[in-house]
Amino acid sequence: MVSTQQEIVGRILRASTKGFTCGTSSRQVDTRHDFGAFVKVPIANDGDCCVIGLIYAVEIKDDQLVNELVMADSVNPNVLLDQRENRMVPVEIDVLNVGYGYRDANGAVINGFHSLPPRPPMSLTDVELCSIYEVFTFTQRYDFFRTVINASDVPSDDLLAAALRYASQAYPENQRYEFMVHCGQHLARMLANDLKRLSHVLALIRPA
Amino acid sequence: MQYPDDSENLDQWFPRDASAYMQAVLPIPRLGVVVGGSLSKGLVVKLDRGQSVEDLAVGRYVVVHGTNKRFFCMINDISLNNTNPAIQSDPPDISDPFLSAVYTGTAAYGTIHVAPMLSIGDDDKPKPVKTIPSHFMEVMNANVEDVNDVFGHEDESHFNVGTPLELDETQINIDLKRLVERSVGVFGKSGTGKSFLTRVLLAGVIAKNQGVNLIFDMHNDYGWEITSENGSSVKGLKQLFSSKVTILTLDVESSRRRNAKFDSEVKIGLDEIEPEDIAQLRVTMSLSDAMIDAAHTLHKRWGDSWIRRLLKGNVDDIEEVAENTPIMSGTLLALQRRLERFERWDFLVAETPEDSVERIVNLLVEQQQSVVLEFGRYGNSLEAYILVANYLTRRIHERYIDKVERALGDKAMEPPQLLITIEEAHKFLDPQIARATIFGIIAREMRKYNVTLLIVDQRPSGIDEEVMSQIGTRVTALLDNERDINAVLNGISGAAGLREVLSRLDTKQQAIIMGHAVPMPVVVKTRAYDEQFYASLINANGTGINIDKARKTLGSGGGERRIR
Ligand SMILES: Nc1ncnc2c1ncn2[C@@H]1O[C@H](COP(=O)(O)OP(=O)(O)OP(=O)(O)O)[C@@H](O)[C@H]1O
Ligand SMILES: [Mg+2]
Repeated sequence: MVSTQQEIVGRILRASTKGFTCGTSSRQVDTRHDFGAFVKVPIANDGDCCVIGLIYAVEIKDDQLVNELVMADSVNPNVLLDQRENRMVPVEIDVLNVGYGYRDANGAVINGFHSLPPRPPMSLTDVELCSIYEVFTFTQRYDFFRTVINASDVPSDDLLAAALRYASQAYPENQRYEFMVHCGQHLARMLANDLKRLSHVLALIRPA
Repeated sequence: MQYPDDSENLDQWFPRDASAYMQAVLPIPRLGVVVGGSLSKGLVVKLDRGQSVEDLAVGRYVVVHGTNKRFFCMINDISLNNTNPAIQSDPPDISDPFLSAVYTGTAAYGTIHVAPMLSIGDDDKPKPVKTIPSHFMEVMNANVEDVNDVFGHEDESHFNVGTPLELDETQINIDLKRLVERSVGVFGKSGTGKSFLTRVLLAGVIAKNQGVNLIFDMHNDYGWEITSENGSSVKGLKQLFSSKVTILTLDVESSRRRNAKFDSEVKIGLDEIEPEDIAQLRVTMSLSDAMIDAAHTLHKRWGDSWIRRLLKGNVDDIEEVAENTPIMSGTLLALQRRLERFERWDFLVAETPEDSVERIVNLLVEQQQSVVLEFGRYGNSLEAYILVANYLTRRIHERYIDKVERALGDKAMEPPQLLITIEEAHKFLDPQIARATIFGIIAREMRKYNVTLLIVDQRPSGIDEEVMSQIGTRVTALLDNERDINAVLNGISGAAGLREVLSRLDTKQQAIIMGHAVPMPVVVKTRAYDEQFYASLINANGTGINIDKARKTLGSGGGERRIR
């Protein structure tokens, strides 16, 4: 899932400093668009500064034709396939901003800040999946937990859990458990006054 | 912490040796941080999550690394806390290792309470604490260097008495010069190692020439071979310092039976016993004031032989006294009955060929010998012990005063520092008699006449408060009686914190040392009194057994040399 190659998730449809939505054709949707994946995109008028976000929703919109095909009695399978793959409506991917950082000499965004970016990305900018290194360095600190936990209109508990499971893959196998324990400890401190929520999130990230 | 920073260098990211990597990124081990507290009540330290409360113990040393100073503290309480009390009603499932690792140290954590005792600033000199470290300063386990900075190294006046808790590789060196300068108390329940500990202290004083000792050895614990509780036998002081220790005995028979060497026998003349000596037995022999008055009267009328004459109990004699003095014959008869037991004590004789007091003073002052007076079977009779100890001490003390006064302040002419060891000290220093007895006087006059006490006792609460307050160094093994603990801690700063520590010492071979001879209270695991200990004395700063023998054969070691 996480890889070192440059992998485009989509292009910006709408954006704000809090988050953005990017779109891609339905043909492209795959593991790059997993719930909880880390993505990055340069912000407006600054090629070096990238916002880092978490995918929290992937939406496949309907249109008139789809509505009709759904109602139709019998449809030629080729028409269905064609309609599924060559739709004119993009798949929308919603991203929650959790930090930003600057590219290093190799183009990697490492040692980012766990706070919202100064500006949003511009429309149609390419959104990329973060590399394994970027995920590793970004998750050395836990400050972005709070952004996720406090985000409204986002399934924050599930998102955080998914993001952490995703991030753990960036760690060598023998360090994953420890990483999860550290994350859990940080959560335990953050959610100390909401023990029900804490135990729920812990149940979600608990390594098998 | 250092993170990999080169995204092209895979080795840096995922090193082959993962444990080395983890070590490199983990912070240095520490106990926790200061989160609150006060100078009077001590500091509260929140434990880091890696620290298990189970690995800690009261009495252990910790060091708070402040901005400019190190604060030396002793753990005196350990508690469990949580950030949200609701967790108590719905505790997490700790059998799950993941949940256990997450919750412990975060939502539920340990705190320790530590009492700051000393601080060391830039000048490396330990000073009493007058302030506390600020918030969130790091708290570490004390290391060897920390302990050495406080207690110094072993040298001609510092003597190793044991190791601090959990720090076996280091040692606590007490200042013997300061130890003997004021009275010393060794306390603890029966069987906690008081006699062993006292022997360690005495051996130190003798080895390092910090003074001479007079030991009233109630249970034959100090002179020659001693059988320990586990059946093995350990060496007495005479065996360790053959030329610096003289054993006198009151009971030759017992010494022979025990196969214990002794240098000579001590006898006390009945005619030398004065009414003042009898008065010291007031509590032990339940003598009334009237009986003591009677003793004085008899002494006046009959002279030195008053005891012998009373014991003979001639009816005419008794009547004569009753008629001519305000003393009732009933009182006389009661006194006579009390003193009858003197006849069973073979060390009391009508006349003595030589003056035992003179002999002991000569040994102590001229020959600079430590003297162990073994009581043999008389150790079981408290009356005999008290009578003899008081009798000798009163007279030796007089001579000491005389010698010190004649020296006119010239230290070189003064007699050597004398440390007198007594057991069952509360019988001598009971509040009812402490004011009048010689031991009370010595304790109170402090070091004026170069005589101090080493009192060994299992019931310090029975000792007069004023006398206790004059005890410079208190060494105490486990005590469990509340009143005894109070008595020992009375007047010690930071005592509240030591209470928990004191009542939780091991039942053997552990003690808190506090007061004059140590810069701060410290819990020690007492040095084992064994072959290794004996051997160390030989090497102790060139003052051990071998050198001693050499000196003796060379015929030096005369009276001019001063133990200082
Ligand atoms: N420093 C030590 N080295 C070796 N053994 C020790 C030491 N301290 C205590 N012990 C062991 O503990 C036993 C009891 O010690 P000790 O006789 O000194 O106790 P005590 O406090 O004097 O008892 P009591 O009040 O009955 O006189 C000893 O016989 C010995 O086996
Ligand atoms: Mg004893």
